[in-house]
Amino acid sequence: MNVIEIKNLTKTYGKARGITDISFNVEQGEIFGFIGPNGAGKSTTIRTLLSLIYPTSGSATIFGKDCIQFAPEIKKEIGYLPSEVFYYDNMKVKDLLKYSASFYKKDCTKRIKELAEIMDLDLNKKIDDLSLGNKKKVGIVQGLLHEPKLIILDEPTSGLDPLMQQKFFDILEEENKKGATILFSSHILSEVQRLCNRVAIIKEGKIVTVEKISTLKENNYKKLKIETKAPLEKDYFQISGVNKLEVNDNITSFLFRGNINTVMKKIADIEIANLWIEEPDLEEIFMHYYEKEA
Amino acid sequence: MNIFLKELKSHRKSLIFWSIGVFLMVVSGMAKFEAYSSSGQSINEMMADIPKSLRAVLGFSDLDLSKASGYYGMLFLYLLLMATIHAAMLGATIIAKEERDKTSEFLFVKPVSRTTVITAKLLAASVNIVIFNLVTLVSSIILMGHYSHGEDVSGEIAILMAGMFILQVLFMVIGSALAAVKKKPKTAASLATGILLLTYMLSVTIDLNENMEPLKYLTPFKYFEAKNVMVGSGLDVTFVVISVVWITVLSYVTYVFYQKRDLNG
Repeated sequence: MNVIEIKNLTKTYGKARGITDISFNVEQGEIFGFIGPNGAGKSTTIRTLLSLIYPTSGSATIFGKDCIQFAPEIKKEIGYLPSEVFYYDNMKVKDLLKYSASFYKKDCTKRIKELAEIMDLDLNKKIDDLSLGNKKKVGIVQGLLHEPKLIILDEPTSGLDPLMQQKFFDILEEENKKGATILFSSHILSEVQRLCNRVAIIKEGKIVTVEKISTLKENNYKKLKIETKAPLEKDYFQISGVNKLEVNDNITSFLFRGNINTVMKKIADIEIANLWIEEPDLEEIFMHYYEKEA
Repeated sequence: MNIFLKELKSHRKSLIFWSIGVFLMVVSGMAKFEAYSSSGQSINEMMADIPKSLRAVLGFSDLDLSKASGYYGMLFLYLLLMATIHAAMLGATIIAKEERDKTSEFLFVKPVSRTTVITAKLLAASVNIVIFNLVTLVSSIILMGHYSHGEDVSGEIAILMAGMFILQVLFMVIGSALAAVKKKPKTAASLATGILLLTYMLSVTIDLNENMEPLKYLTPFKYFEAKNVMVGSGLDVTFVVISVVWITVLSYVTYVFYQKRDLNG
C-alpha cells in the first residue's frame, strides 16, 4: 500500500522554476529518501504535500486521501520537521510542546518526556535562548510527540552534532519499526544511504530516477583498473558498455556497465599483473545523474 | 480553542498598553476641559478666533466646546483614531504574523483547517477590540461624570462607543483582508494604517469643503460623527448598513483569499 502517491505534480512560481511533473510513491513502512541539491524542488514538493502551498497542476494523496481536500484530517497522522525551525519566541519549550500536543486528541506528555530525555533537551528554557541545534531538537520532539504514522523530514540533520544525529536516526529507525513511514529529504547522501530503502533523485524540479538504494548500486557501472605486464593495444577494451577508457602504459582503466562476463573473458585472454574492480559509492552515482544532463 | 487562547495570550501585553493609553487620553482630555472651563473664559469665544479650516482639522468645527458633551465630542475623534489604528494593526498582524515569524510551518501542518485558524484569530482579535472599547467606555463615563457638572451624557457616550465598535470591527477586517490578499503579508499592517489615515484625511477634507459632501460614504470617519450622535439622533441606519456590508465583504475576502494563498516559508 502506498502512503504517499504523487501524480504529475507541478508547481510554478511566476516564471521561476518550482517543480515539474513530479510523480512517485512512498510505500507503507519504508524510509524513503528524497535527494537533490539545494533549490532542486525538495521543499516545494514537501510543502505541497502539506498543503502549505497549492499545486499548479497534478495531485497527491496521503493515506489514500487527497492531500488538499482532506488536509486537516490527514495531518492528524503526519509529523513534520522543517529544515529551519521557527517558533513563537516568547514561549518556554515545555509550553510550545504542550501547545503542539493540544492539536492532537491524545495525551502526549509521556512521549514528550521520553523524547526530550533521549535528545537531551531542557524543557524549561525559553525558545528564544536556544542555540540552533537545540531549536532543531525542539523541532524533532515537536514533530514526533504525537507518534505520527507518516514522518516528513526536510533536511533534518542540519545543526545537529554527530552524536545527536545518531540518536535522532535511532529514534527514526525505532519509529519505523513501530510502523511509521518516513519521507526523508536531504542533500547529504551518506545519511540517505544509511537510512533509506528507496530514493528519489530530483534535479532542477524534475525527478531523475526512483530506485532502491541497492539496485541503484547494482545497476550501475563498475570501475575497473587493470595492470598488465606488457602495454595493451589501445582499443583492446573498446567493447560495448565501456566508458571513459584510459590507457597509460601498463595501466588501463575504464567504467563498465552491462554483463560483467564479457569483460571478464577479455581479461582472461591477457596476462595481467593486477586487477581492481570497485563499486562506485552513492556519491558518484549521484554525480553521474547530475553530470549526465548538465 | 487552543489557537484562540494562544492569540489572547500573545496580544495581552499590547492590549494592556493600548488600554492604559486610551485611559490616559480620556483623563488628559477631560483634565484640559476642566482647566478651560474653570478659567472663566468661554472656550467658544477663544475658539472662534481659530480659522474654520484649523477647526476642521482639529475635529471640532460644529461642536459646542463650552459643554462637557461638546468637548467630549472632540475628544471622541481622537479616541476613535486610536481605537481604529489599534484594530487595523491587530487585524493585519494577527493574520500576517504566522508568515512573518515563519511559524506557519508549525501551525498549518497541524490538523486544523485554515478556516478554523482564521476564525480563532478573528475571534481573539474581536475580544481585544471589545476590551479596548469597554475600557474607553468605562473611563469616559467615569471621567465625564466627574467633570461634566451634572450634564448626563452616559447614554450618548454609549451610542458613540457602539459606533466606535462598528468602525473598530470594520478596520480590523480591512487589516485582515489585506493580510490575506497581499503576497507580502507583513506589509499589511502599514498599508491598513495608511488606508486609515487616508480616509481620515478625506473626512477632514470633506469638513473643509462642503462640495465634497457626497464623498462621505467613502470614509468611515464620516459614518458616526459625534456632532450628529451628540444631538440625540443616534447612529445613522444607512451608515450602520454600509458598515455591516463592508464588514461582511471583507471577512469573506479574508477567508477566501487566505484559504487559497500559498503560505510563504
